[in-house]
This record gives sequence, C-alpha cells and structure tokens, in this order.
Amino acid sequence: MISALLYLQYHVFRNRLVSRVKRLKQPKYLIGAIVGGLYFYWYFFRYLFGGYAGGRQPPVNFTFSPEHLQLIELFGALVLFVIVVLAWIIPRERAALTFTEAEVAFLFPAPVTRRNLIHFKLLRSQLGILFTSLLLTLFSRRIGGNALIHALGWWLMLSTLNLHFLGASFARTMLLDRGISNRLRRLLVLGLVAAMAVFVWIWAKRTVPGLSSADTTDFNAILDYAQRVLTVGPALYLLYPFRLVVRPFLAPDATAFFAALAPALLLFLLHYLWVIYADVAFEEASVEASQKLAVRLAAIRAGNWQGAGKKQKAKRPWFRLTATGPAPTALLWKNLLGVGQVFSPRLWIILFTVVVILGISLGNIGHRPNVSVMAAILIAAALGYSLLLGPQLLRQDFRHDLPLADVLKTLPLRGWQIALGEILAPVAVLAAIQWLLLLVGAGLIFYLPGKYEALFLAIALGAAVLLPVLDWLLLLIPNAAVLLFPSWIQTGKDSPRGIEATGQRLIMALGQLLVLLLALLPAAVAFVGVFFLLNLALGPVAAVPLASLAATVVLAAEAGLGVMLLGMLFERFDVTEEHTS
Amino acid sequence: MIQVEGLTKLYGEFVAVNELSFSVQPGEVMGLVGPNGAGKTTTLRCLSGIIPPTRGAVRVGGHDIVRDPIAAKKQLAFFTDEPRLFDYLTVWQHLNFVARIYQVPDYERIGAGLLEELEIANKRDALPGELSRGMKQKLAIACGLLHSPKVIYFDEPLTGLDPLGIRRMKDSILKRARAGAAIIISSHLLHLVEEICSRILILKNGRKVIDGTLEEVTRKFSEQPGDTNLEEIFFRATSEPGTNAPAVPPPLPHGNER
Repeated sequence: MISALLYLQYHVFRNRLVSRVKRLKQPKYLIGAIVGGLYFYWYFFRYLFGGYAGGRQPPVNFTFSPEHLQLIELFGALVLFVIVVLAWIIPRERAALTFTEAEVAFLFPAPVTRRNLIHFKLLRSQLGILFTSLLLTLFSRRIGGNALIHALGWWLMLSTLNLHFLGASFARTMLLDRGISNRLRRLLVLGLVAAMAVFVWIWAKRTVPGLSSADTTDFNAILDYAQRVLTVGPALYLLYPFRLVVRPFLAPDATAFFAALAPALLLFLLHYLWVIYADVAFEEASVEASQKLAVRLAAIRAGNWQGAGKKQKAKRPWFRLTATGPAPTALLWKNLLGVGQVFSPRLWIILFTVVVILGISLGNIGHRPNVSVMAAILIAAALGYSLLLGPQLLRQDFRHDLPLADVLKTLPLRGWQIALGEILAPVAVLAAIQWLLLLVGAGLIFYLPGKYEALFLAIALGAAVLLPVLDWLLLLIPNAAVLLFPSWIQTGKDSPRGIEATGQRLIMALGQLLVLLLALLPAAVAFVGVFFLLNLALGPVAAVPLASLAATVVLAAEAGLGVMLLGMLFERFDVTEEHTS
Repeated sequence: MIQVEGLTKLYGEFVAVNELSFSVQPGEVMGLVGPNGAGKTTTLRCLSGIIPPTRGAVRVGGHDIVRDPIAAKKQLAFFTDEPRLFDYLTVWQHLNFVARIYQVPDYERIGAGLLEELEIANKRDALPGELSRGMKQKLAIACGLLHSPKVIYFDEPLTGLDPLGIRRMKDSILKRARAGAAIIISSHLLHLVEEICSRILILKNGRKVIDGTLEEVTRKFSEQPGDTNLEEIFFRATSEPGTNAPAVPPPLPHGNER
C-alpha cells in the first residue's frame, strides 16, 4: 500500500517540477528564473559547498572555542526546549494530519491503514523539511562551518521537532479522550516547567556566585553567569536531550559530527516509534483541517493573503454610505471594510491611546534631551518605513480585487472612477497613520535640544501636506504594475512560486523604484526651486512648507494623471486573456 | 433590447466567437446552448462589457457596450455560474454598495423585499463565508436585481441550487421576463432551456448553428413533425458532419444504467 502513496508523492513532486520547467518557455518566467538564480547564487550558493577559493571570503567566518560552542549548544537547547513546551501548551485542537481535500477524498475511504497514512504524512513533510534545511543552511553557512554538516544538522533538528509536534498532538488527543481538558493540561505543563525553573533558580542561588550590579552592564559577565548556571547542576540534565539534538549541527568536523549523530538519531528513532505506535483517531479532525486548508489556499489564490489565515468577521462600516453621491465612494467604503479586517476602529483607539500616553511620557522625560532625540529619530524612521512598507502591506486595492475584475467591469463606472475608488482606502489609512506619527513628532519638537522648534514644525507641516499625495503616487505604481503584469505581482489566481517568481519580484521592485524616482524628479525640482527662492526672501521656516506645497501640487497633478492612466489600464485589462495566458 | 451584430472575439489566433448576430426583444427569454468550448461564456462576457469584442457591435437598450458602456451597463445584470462576492461585506452591505454604484435611492425597501423574496432575510448580517452556495447565489441575484435591470444574463443559473431553489429560480426568471426584461440564459440543462426559453440559439465552435423559436428550431432538425425534443436537436445540430455519429449517445449497457 505504501508503494501507492510513494507513487502519488513522487508524481506530484515530479509533475510540479516539470510544469515549472515547462513554463520557462515563457520569457517572463525565463527572465525571472535567470534574475532569481543570479540573486540566489550571489547571496547564498557561492558560499555553499564550493568553499572560498580564488580569494573569495565568506561575509563572516567565526571560529568558536569549545566553551563558546558549549554555550551556543546550551542556548540552542534552550530554544528547542521553549519550542517544545509551547507545543504542549498552545495548541487546543485534536490531532489532525493536514491533507489536501483531494487526498482526503481518495485516501480516507480507501483501504489504507492509519499507520500508512501517518507514513505518507511524514514522507510528504520531508519535502518541506529538506527545502527548509537547505534554506537555513544557506543562511547559517554564511557564518562559516561545513555546509554538509549544517544541512544534516538542520534536517535532524527539524525532523525530530516535526515528529515531536505530531506525537504531542496525539498525546493531546489521548488526554482529551480521557477527560483531561486543555486548561488542565496547560496548567500541568506550566506547573512542571515552573517547578523546573524554581529548582534551577534555587540551586543556582545556592551554588553559583550571583552577578554584582556592575556585572549587569557587562555582556561577557552575563554570558559567563548563564554558562555556569546551565552547564553545572540540574539545568545540564534537564536540557540534555535537547542538547543531543542540537549537537550534530554544531559539530566542528566530521569526527565530532559522527560522534554526536548516534544519540541524536536514537532520539529521532524513539520519536518515530512514539508517533507510529500511538493509536489515535485523527481522521475527523483531519477532514476539518483539510477544509480549512482549502479555504485558506482559495483565499491566497484569490489574492487575499491577509485574510487567508483567519476567519473573516462582519465589520461596522467606517461611515454611512448613502445611495446617492459619487460612485467611487462606494469602492472606498467597501475597501475600508476590507482594511477594517486588520485596522479595526478598536485598533485605532488603541493606537491613539498609545500615542497620547507616549506623548505624555515623552513630556515627562523631556528634560533628557537624548531620549527626545532618540524618539524623534525613531518617528522619522517609522515615517520612512511607512513609505517603504505601507504600500506593500495595505493591499485593499486592485491587488486585492483583481480576481473580481469581471465583477468590477460590469459596474456602470468609468475606468478612472474605479481606479480612484480602489486606491482611496489604502491612501487614507496610510496617511492617517503618518499623521498620527507626525502628531507625536510635533509634540517632541519642543523637547529637542537647540533652538530649531520653528524649523522642525515647518518640516512636520510640510510633511503632513506632502505625505498623502506621495502615498497616492506610491500606491499608484504597484496598482499599475498589477494591471500591466498581473502574473508578476503577488495576486490573482495561481501566483507563481520558486526562483523564477523571486526573480520576477526583484525585477518588479526595481522597475517600480525606477518609475518612482522618475515621478519624484519634477516634484523634487519644484521643491528645490521654490525653497531656494523663498529661503532668500522669507527664511527656511516659511520656505519649507511652501516648497512642500509646490512639490505637493506637482505630485497631485501626477497622481491625477496616474488615476486616469490606471483607469485606462483597467478598461483595457482583458480578464480572459490573462487567465488563458 | 439586445442587439448583436457580427460579434467576434479572438484570443491570439484562436477564434472564440465568430461573426455572431442575433437580437433579443423585451419579454423574451433566449437560451444559449452549445457544447463545452462553444463560446457561450465568452459571448456573455462580451455582451456584459467584461471583455471587449475584437469585432462587431453589441447594443444594450440602444447603447453600444463599447462606446457608451456606462449607459449600457446601467441597464443590465450578469449572473455568473459561480457567485462572485466580496468576502468581507455582509449581505446587507453588498446591497448598500450596489445601491450607491447604481444610484438606487430606495434600495432599503427594494433590498428588504428582495431578501424576503429570496428567503435570505435572516442572513442580512452574514458574510459570504457563512452562507451556503445556494444562499450566495441568492445574494448575487439580489444584488443584480436591485437596480431593476432591463437586460439580464444568466450563466448556468441552476448550478448548486436545491429543488426548491430551482423552482423559485425558474419562476423568478419568468417573472422578470413578464415584467419586460430581455433575458439570455446560457446552460447545459436542455430541459431548463426547453421549459422557460421562448427562443434558442445553438453555438458551436464560436459560430451560430441556428437561432429561432423552439418550434422553428424543431422544424429544421426534426425528420418528422413532432418527433424531436431539444436534446435530440442539440445532438443533431452539434454533431460533426460526415462522422456518422449517432444523434443521441447510446444507452449504458444493461446493469450499468443510472
């Protein structure tokens, strides 16, 4: 029977690979593959297996002393310990092996034993584990060490963890069947962990000399203390199984690796036997899990990445939509409801409260200029990141609605009206966040050292005027890109994956950056021109907001043209051609 | 009400719809039938302005769908086989949204009536994710009918409906036709077409095979008067010439009958 499952797994993998290779006939995938391949080679693969001949050096090449290795091993073991404890505390569902709906339909009614289904699941999870191990090796190899040892070490850690998660889910189900509720189980596990922590703490307090107040500022002293606590006494034994799992990965050479391999493999084998011989009914929960998976995949394929992981909730509209008035408002209203799945009014209240509390706190510490400067830098950085990440995270526009393009096309609206309505919601939300940040920044200005309050306020005012239009422009570019190259953007049906998709995204990101720079050029010229003229006559305090206003006018004209262009693109967008391409 | 002249749609070199011409008058229900890949959905998409025709003209209520799309689209509703809804809008919010788009001032009265008629009034605050497939279909219909369209296209309208839902859908289609709407139904369910359509258009490989009333079509394809139903007509009209293929597929062998 297992041969049939192997056959299925092999052919699913092979066909997926073949279809990936076949689509390289299309230039868009071929170019993407070349760029993606170069990217991966440049950043990762050239440091792998091939060594560092020809004068090439790895970015960082650490050599660890045995003491450092032991400390790293201990921290690794501690991390594994925390992960395992969380696996026993957080989940609440019964054991469920995640199958696709097709697998449930074919395998569950078939004469396949439960044990074979587990084998199939384990086998399939190996694909993901192997890929993740390779990816992690690409990263970890960059700090030195042997690539093969890293890869095998990662594989062993991930495989053992995978088996442990499965075994823990079976144990959880058995406990539930025996009347031990999730709450009781969590209390028991937390109690056990707390008892262990108290035991280690009491032992350390009696045996290991404590840290002096001077030591708390010395990182090396803290590390030494942690090493003493963890390497001697109960912690050493409590973490011992976890250290065995981490040890092969940290082996400095082949001899040490093989010495560490045997106990780690024994643990792996014990986990395997635990999972295979646990006779737990997982079918019902698996059917439910497969349905959830299908819904999640459908949401992702429909471009709804944000809503993919959770159940949607009905939200109250942000404002009342009357039946008459400008039609694009309806799209804004609709998309704000979509944004509301993430940015609920409650979140806004929390954000506002945080801002107020932050403002008051900063007022109280205003006499410490360093803190004020640091906070101001943080706000400036947050504003910068909002421009960089905001348009990527807020996707309640064409990027979200493109799978429903046929519905939008039946609406009795001009292309520009649809484009305007689609883009308004993310602009409004992003601008609101930025204004909140500017509000905090404006409050801070009075606590900054020096006598530049007026100038900083002028800059904040200029930014407040400029940012919404800049957001508009920043959001226009990916929206135009999605209409021009729908399959290159992460939306729509069957969004591509793999190296070629990474390459496509790189090309798109570079293209968008180039378009943005071109779009910003006239505004920058207007800003600089007006600033220099007015600076001479009125001084910088007046020149900055007025120059910002001039730049805003230029950007607004571009944004207006951009909406018209976006509308034209949408009108020309052929849903069927894209689906058949 | 619907006038189509020389409608042609190409995908690259592939001809999906070829020189299609027909018209549908107010109160008429036209059945659009044909084998898979005949071009039915492409035709409906061109007729509703979702995709532009490569050649030809489509007029809805006298308005050209390409030159005057807003006026044309205000008069029509298109119901796809799979209900297409916004996953984060509730049932009522869908109606509110559509009302603003189509500027329907008394949408609350009309919408409440439609929800009652379609028996989903108790799902007013539910999201599409909480609705069964049939209910989603009903919501899509409520949205489409809110602005009282004069032209209605249905693509496989009975998919996923229970027997009562099927009965109500047929009644609803006929009711709209009696009220003066021009209706086109694309379906593989020939008994549905036979039952409620006053006219039939058979498509094959993007080309019109025949267009006329059921009587006219029957007359053309029957060997003797009164010996033919739509299913047989369909097979005769769409079978490849010269293949000697049987008009109707042979029954399953004894014991395999379903």
